[in-house]
Parts: sequence; structure tokens; C-alpha cells
Amino acid sequence: MLRLEDYEKIIQKCSHCSYCQSTCPSYLTEQSESSVAKNRLLIIKETLMHKNLPFTPRAQEILDSCLLCTNCTQTCSSKVPIDDIIIAARIKTGQKGVGGIKQFVMGKMLTQRGLTGALGKAGSLAQKLGIATKEIPQLASKSFDKMYSGTYTPTGTIKKRVAYFVGCGTNFIFPDTGEAVVKVLNHNGIEVIIPKGQVCCGIPALGEGDLEGARSMVETNVNLFAGLDVDAIVTDCTSCGMMFKEKAAKCLPDDDPLQEKIAAVTAKIWEVTDYLQNQGLEVPPEPLDVTWSYHVPCHRGWSPTVKDAPRQLLAQIPDAKLKEFDNPEQCCGGAGTYFMEHREIAEKIRASRLLDLNNTVSDAVLTQCPVCRFYIGFQVTDREVTHPIKILARAYGL
Amino acid sequence: MQGLVKDLATLLGPTQILSQPEEMLAYANDATHYFKSRIPDAVVLPHTTEEVAKIMKYAFAKQIPVTPRGAGSGLAGGCTPVHGGIVMDLKRLNQIIEIDGSNMTARVETGVVLKRFQDTVEKRKLFYPPDPQSGSVCTIGGNVATRAGGPRGVKYGTTGNYVTGLEVVLPDGSIITPGGKFVKQSVGYDITHLMTGSEGTLGVITGVNLRLLPLPEANRTVVVVCETVEQAAEIVAEITGRGAVPAMLEFLTKIAITVMNQYFFPPLSADGEGYLFMFFDGTEAQVEYETKLVDEICRDMKAKEVRVIEDPRVAEVYWSARANVYPMIQTIFERATTEDITVPRNKLPELVRAVQAIAAAEGVMIGLAGHAGDGNMHPSVLFPQVTPEALEKSEIAIDKLIRAGLDMGGTISGEHGIGIHKAKYLAWELGDIQIELMKRIKQAFDPRGIMNPGKIWMEDGDNNA
Repeated sequence: MLRLEDYEKIIQKCSHCSYCQSTCPSYLTEQSESSVAKNRLLIIKETLMHKNLPFTPRAQEILDSCLLCTNCTQTCSSKVPIDDIIIAARIKTGQKGVGGIKQFVMGKMLTQRGLTGALGKAGSLAQKLGIATKEIPQLASKSFDKMYSGTYTPTGTIKKRVAYFVGCGTNFIFPDTGEAVVKVLNHNGIEVIIPKGQVCCGIPALGEGDLEGARSMVETNVNLFAGLDVDAIVTDCTSCGMMFKEKAAKCLPDDDPLQEKIAAVTAKIWEVTDYLQNQGLEVPPEPLDVTWSYHVPCHRGWSPTVKDAPRQLLAQIPDAKLKEFDNPEQCCGGAGTYFMEHREIAEKIRASRLLDLNNTVSDAVLTQCPVCRFYIGFQVTDREVTHPIKILARAYGL
Repeated sequence: MQGLVKDLATLLGPTQILSQPEEMLAYANDATHYFKSRIPDAVVLPHTTEEVAKIMKYAFAKQIPVTPRGAGSGLAGGCTPVHGGIVMDLKRLNQIIEIDGSNMTARVETGVVLKRFQDTVEKRKLFYPPDPQSGSVCTIGGNVATRAGGPRGVKYGTTGNYVTGLEVVLPDGSIITPGGKFVKQSVGYDITHLMTGSEGTLGVITGVNLRLLPLPEANRTVVVVCETVEQAAEIVAEITGRGAVPAMLEFLTKIAITVMNQYFFPPLSADGEGYLFMFFDGTEAQVEYETKLVDEICRDMKAKEVRVIEDPRVAEVYWSARANVYPMIQTIFERATTEDITVPRNKLPELVRAVQAIAAAEGVMIGLAGHAGDGNMHPSVLFPQVTPEALEKSEIAIDKLIRAGLDMGGTISGEHGIGIHKAKYLAWELGDIQIELMKRIKQAFDPRGIMNPGKIWMEDGDNNA
């Protein structure tokens, strides 16, 4: 239930080995042990659990500067659920006033999908809200849910049936990803059901310590998806996938009646390339002359195969060549809405990421995370930054 | 200590000083967090040797303790600021200054992370072997200060064997550069290697000259499950006796394999008494020959299971699990405290039996993992629960272990250093005369006693732990 008091024992498992320093993006940027998972755990322990020290604004700032990228949790051999503990601390301390664009995004846009219609046609959120930053993603002229809804049946035999959870990134910013998901699945004999009434998966709210908000989104989505007669539930976004797989159940009490439905959804959730690779492609792709590099999203720990799925899937496209980055798993600094509130540090993290990207010559940078896609895309303009499913769609001529 | 922070602010920029308790909690100790820890009065984060010198001049004038710090991943409490004062975090001195392929040497700043350095030289087909298993975070300077070792010791030696020169800021702020870019030097006392392993008690290491080797072209991993500890030891003796020299030769017991097995597919048989992880490197022909030989020896000697691992990605899984065994063990125990006894290689079965006997006699659990190739073993007392009684039993058991290791002609520390963790045992190994000599050396370097005070030897009968 993400209650801080439930973590008092496991937080002791941190052996101070310091291995989190190898992957924590805020540490690697600041180069100070203040800003590493180990110190964040100590702050939580000393200020919020044992109350040996007061919870100061500086303590809050250090906890806030965590991107919740989960790299520390994935690195931690002592298996301390560091990101959950930080979320629990944020829930406990409550959020200080989030304002402006972030409040709008968090409060309205993600929970009320119809709202973008009221915003008018294409344009940037920043312009709409009068915020002077160039680096706010452009909203698509038509959101995905305005174009796609209901059941999409392949021609020929139906091999499998999946439900498609459409994340906010795809819905509002990159509907092209969603279009490719539907077409590629159909092309492989997979029927796609897109239930109406989907809302945000809840991970941005949870990251803000808004447990109530996250819980309400989980309830809405789980009630929509749990009863469907499908072989799998796919998402194109690794963060939505993580939310369903690892976090949704933690938003409610263990004995909540909804837990059964959550478990049903959790058991079926797949990232779409992971699902396709696991199932095997029914139709071999046509040759496509493209050299691509793969930026692995941070939220990859929830599936053991998700980070290799695009590599293996696109390896089946004749003439498509993978040019690996030196550090394919290095964080880009976007991290949901982090880049809006922590511009300076996010930009530093990205600058470090871009060194590797710019040293690797390829035609396309692929990633399953919409935030990585636009946050990297703001700076990488010499080549396409997109979702791997789009390359597969292209190879199919879809 | 407001005055201290004010003074430091005149020496360094605002992002280079930490002074609020909540931003310094991580600096209160290293990976031995269960020993006495203390939040420092301030942490400084210099970027250059000159900044280090400025801080030392100031601390010398004011007689403020200074504790140099690398990654903070040490296992002896060496960078714990037991007397408070200033912790000097050296991780921002992180430039690789030179890699000289023709001389096979490198020069780095002290805070360069080991793995980054190794990856960089390996891209140029060069090789820096020391690997204390924390390479993803530990710093070269920290390695030098603790004379760090690791599994490659058996074939390639430890950090000290690769250090050819240093840049050191002495306690009064003066800068010296003992040694240099040469593999031989016979010019008076060897200050380079006196500093190496001095655990921050003589000065601050800010730069390091290292020698490099050619990168071996091939490697292979072999994993062996043995019926008994004796069998493991016999296999090790046979392998080395027949001329094969593994680059790494690790020994693990069942408890370690229990936690590591989650990463192996298929899991290793869990009913062996001893497990050997071996790594051979060299030319393709040599590696092929050695691997075949070892495979034959293990089969002839009826090992329970032999795995020759060809795929480097699969091998990486085994070695990564090995490197992480210490934090991994924390998943099932409330605490694990690790020793660092090193005995002559052929005493290994005797040491393992002694460990088992002491554990049984004292009623404590002791896991065992270590570098069988060079006799450096890490018995770890494992606490299902930390109680005063368990701590007392553990202390008795460790005392006995250390004594047993010394009686076998061994040493109390192969690679971790003394810090606060082993200060109690220093006299057991060195005797009073050597310790007095060390104290006089310390006095010569650090007349005001400000460099990492409270380390290596006991202070007034207290080891600060």
C-alpha cells in the first residue's frame, strides 16, 4: 500500500555498497553522494521514519530530485525497492503546490481525455498556457482516442485477440505510434480491442505522491480491462506497462476487492514489441534499408525481455541494421514531468546522454518511451526519433 | 561549525560544499555502516589538485581532521570520519589525463571510476587488471589508498603492482609527485608505494600513474561444482600444478550459491560443498588448451558438475553475480560482516574447515567466498537477526577466525585494508615494534595528526568501531 511504515525493515537491507552510484542519473550529474539513492534512503530513515532529524526543505529537495527512473532499484542487489520507498515518502510528506503546466497536465489532461478537444487544434501546450519554454511537446492535431476506438479485426484468420491500453503519450502527442500498433498487430492476425473510457495509467500521479489520484485511475482502467476476453493487454509505453505490472496493486489495500481484477490485468500486460517478439511474427517483414540505434527506456525492469524485444524483432527486417549506443540504457533526463520542474538537472542529464547519441551514426533513434522520444527529439533533429513499432510498420508497408 | 563552512566558502564554489546534515548522511560511513559512523562537519567536493591543496592548507592551519573519500564502497570503514571535521569527496577529480599506448602507461585523476578507466583502455586493446569487484563505482584513488585487490590477484597481482607514480597533497598543502611514468625506479625510499595502501592517513592522493598490459585476445569461464571443500582444493592444486594459471579462481560455498542461483540458468546444483568459478585469458590457443585441461581434470577428479561457458554474455551473468554477492546476501540476512583473511593457497581447505568448526562452536552462521587462487578468503558472519548476544558471539568467532588465519601463516587483510574494522587485530599480525614504526612514519608525514585520524591502529585501546 506504499505506506512508509511498511518499509522500515526492508530499508535496513541497504548495505551501503554504493553500487547505486553507477546508474543514478541525478548522482552521475551532480557527482555528490547527497543526490544518490543511498542518501535518499538515509534521509527517509532519519527524518521520516526514526525522526532523528527534522524533515527540512533541503531534505524535500533531495527527495524531489529523484527521477523515479528505477535504475537504482534495478541495480540494487540487496533488492531494496528504492523507488517504492521514495513514492511512499512523497505520499507521506504530501505534495507542495504544483503549479502551472504541470498542475494542468496532472490534474486535468490525464484524467479527462476529452479535454484536449476543448483546447482547440494543433499547438503547443506551452502556447495554450502562456508558458515560455520551447521544450514542451506539441499536441497532435487529433488525439488517438478521437481516431481509434472499438474493435479492429484483421483480414483472414484471427490468431489472437488483445486489448490495447493507450498511454497519454500516444494519445495526445504521438498517435502515429498507436496507429502503427493497431496496423502491425492486425497484419499479424491479431485482433485489437481499444476500450472506450481509458484514462492515464496513474504513474505520473503516483510519482507526485498523489496516491488517491493514482488509485482512481487504476480503478477506472482495471474495471475496463479486467473482464475482457483477450489473450493479452498490450501497451506501447514501458512506463504504463510498469505501472500495471508493478505499481497498480500497491495503490490499494491488499484485501481490496479490486485486487483480483488488478491481478488479472497484471498477468496479461505486455509491451507491444515484447508481445510480438514473444508470439513470433506471423508475416515476415519486407526489407527496409535503415540503420537504427536503440535508447532503452529506464522503466524496463518489469519484464525480463522488454529491453531486448525491439532488438530481436527488428533484426527480422532484412537490411535493417542495429547500431548500438555505447550506453544504451543511460537515462535521458525526461522522466515523465520531471523535465518541467527540474529543468536544469534534466538538461544536464540529457547533455550527457547526447554525447553518446551524437557519437553514434544511425538513421533513427528508437525507444518505447514517449517522454524519451520527445525529450531526446527536442535536441536530436538530424534523424528520426520514434517508436520501434513504427519501423516494423514501415517494413510491412503499412 | 558555522565558521568552518564560512571559511570553506571563501576557498570553493557554493556547489562544492555540503554542510546540512541531510545532505551528508551518506558520508557518515562506507559499506561498513554497522560500525560507528559520524556525520562530518562539512563535505568538500574539489575539482582540482589546487583546490585540494587549498583545503589542506586551511585544515592544517586550523588543525581540522580531513578524511579523503573515493566511492565510499570500502569494507573497512577507512573513509568514515570518526573524528568529524572535513570529508574530502574526490570523485569530481575524474579526468583520464593520458593513455600512452607506446609506453603502456596511463595517468588519471584520483576520482576516475575503475570501470570507466578499464573500458577506455580496453577500447585501445590495453588492459588494467585490478578489479576489486566494485568497479562500476569504486575510484582508482580509493583502490590505491586501500591497495585494492580482487579476483585477478592470482595471475595479475593487485593495485600496488600497477602504480608507478602518484601526485599527493601532503597535510600542509604541499604537492609532491613521487614515482612517475616508468616501471623502474631506484631513488631512495619508495614513497609511491608507502602512500599506496596508506588509507588516507598520510596525505591526499590526487593523481595516479599506472602501467598497463596488452589486452588478452580471448577468454573463457569455467564453473565447477565440487562434492567437498577438499575436492575443490585438490582441483585447484591439480590445475595450478599442471601449469594452468587462471586469471580468476573464485571459491564459493553453498550459501552464496543459494542467493546467486536466481541468475543462473539452469541453476547450479545446490548440494555441492564448494564451488569454483574460473576465468582463463590469453591467446585463443592458450585459453583453449587451459579450458580443455581444466575440464578434463575436473571430470577425472569426479567433480559434480563442470560448465565451460563460451558465450561471453552468459559468462558475464556469472561474474556479475559474483561481484554482487555481498549486497545479495543482505536479501536473506539482517546483516553480513565480511572478513578478509589471506592464507597461503594450499592452506585453503584447512581454513575452510577452521571456519566451519568455529561457526559450529560459537553458534554463528559464517558464509565463505573468496579468491581461492591467491588464498584470500572472505568469511562473512551472517546475522539472521542482530541481537546483543549475536554480536557478542560474532566477535568471539571473528577473533578465533583471525587467530586461525594468522596461525596458518596468513594475514588479517588481503585487500580491504584496516580502517576501523581491523584495527583491533593489527598488533596480532604486526607486533608493537612495527606499529610504533608506522606511527613514526605517520608523524613525519602528518605532524598535526589531521589526516584521517582514528584509523589503522587502536587509539587508547579503542578501535572506533
